[in-house]
Amino acid sequence: MREDETTTAAPVFASPGKVVSLRHADAPADQEHLTWAYQTHVTAIYQYIYCRVGNRPDAEDLTAQVFTKAINGMRSDVSVPELRSWLYRVAQTTLADHWRQYYAEDTAELEDDVSRPPAPRENPEAVHRVDALLATLPESYRRVLELRFLKGYSVRETAQELNLSETNVKVLQFRALNRAGRERGRT
Amino acid sequence: MNDDPEHLDKYVDDLLQDRKPERTPLPDEDALRARQTAAMLRAAKPGAGLPSKEFLERMQGSIQAAVEEQSARPKPTARPSRRSLLLTGAAGIAAGVAAAVGIDRLSQQPTPPQGQALVTNGSWKSVKAVADLPEGTPIAFRSGAIEGFLIRQGQDVKGLSAVCTHMGCILNYSKFRNQFECPCHGATFGTNGEPSDQYDQPLPRLPSLNVRVQRGQVEVYTV
Repeated sequence: MREDETTTAAPVFASPGKVVSLRHADAPADQEHLTWAYQTHVTAIYQYIYCRVGNRPDAEDLTAQVFTKAINGMRSDVSVPELRSWLYRVAQTTLADHWRQYYAEDTAELEDDVSRPPAPRENPEAVHRVDALLATLPESYRRVLELRFLKGYSVRETAQELNLSETNVKVLQFRALNRAGRERGRT
Repeated sequence: MNDDPEHLDKYVDDLLQDRKPERTPLPDEDALRARQTAAMLRAAKPGAGLPSKEFLERMQGSIQAAVEEQSARPKPTARPSRRSLLLTGAAGIAAGVAAAVGIDRLSQQPTPPQGQALVTNGSWKSVKAVADLPEGTPIAFRSGAIEGFLIRQGQDVKGLSAVCTHMGCILNYSKFRNQFECPCHGATFGTNGEPSDQYDQPLPRLPSLNVRVQRGQVEVYTV
């Protein structure tokens, strides 16, 4: 049932009843403001979310959710910095809800530091963060993650490259991701 | 239930194939962290992470429809019919009615033409040294909410927004063709910010940014 809800990738369409409830929404300036807010932030919010979920369908769903919430809750008189940090806060809570569906306990401690506004162009930053993370790992762990994620090798190709069995590649990948996950939690 | 290499690899494989990973309860925080780390690694792959044009079109349509509904409620007569919108310039766009409405509306009702008008409580931020700007070649920067390009001509430095006025993608500069190019729908702009007239619909020019030079540093008014 969750499939139906999420594969359309545009909950904005799915719930037209929700989007009409914007406050202070009768002046043309407000419409322009909303259109502008959307236009200048959609790519950045998408990238912010993509860097955290790592797949297109989830990133599209969650981005659409963020802007649906934005339409519902936006005041017309917010300044750009307020709007911007607010959009990112909505993105963060939306992401936290998303992860909560995988893992029922409170994920508050897993969220990013809200006080630090994220960079609009996320991908270079993500690359930098990943380099820093990989540098903390033992060589074999780093190698398997680089091949799988940065080069996009299949398990079989990785096994050939590393001269391991496919089962061993999966075990190595498992240990590497768990270790890297703990490293991330430490920082 | 324990996490294991097979389960985790299924998740990794979904990410690498750009499939929505299956939602299964996880045994512990380590399992969750491993998946979040996998997502972060996946996003670092070169070329990953830009929204598709189909998605942007759908979103644009949704936003415009929502905006229209709002404006239609207090003053229903002021709302142009979708049919009339559709007929006035969206022919040839096969991305569905909502997207067509969105595109059409956008070209009539561009974002505020001067990006700086929206930056009211900003401040001057140093973004580059003048010495780092080659003569005539745009250099990308970002600062606060602003994504832009700096172009130096002699001692004069100009700033242009890097947000495409079509649907909000971030423009790239092509040195080879000496123009800004949108990775989403292929709109192009000259280095003066004017849209090139080959594009199939009129687009607003790129907004200029407030830029000044202080002690050899280029500063941009931003938030």
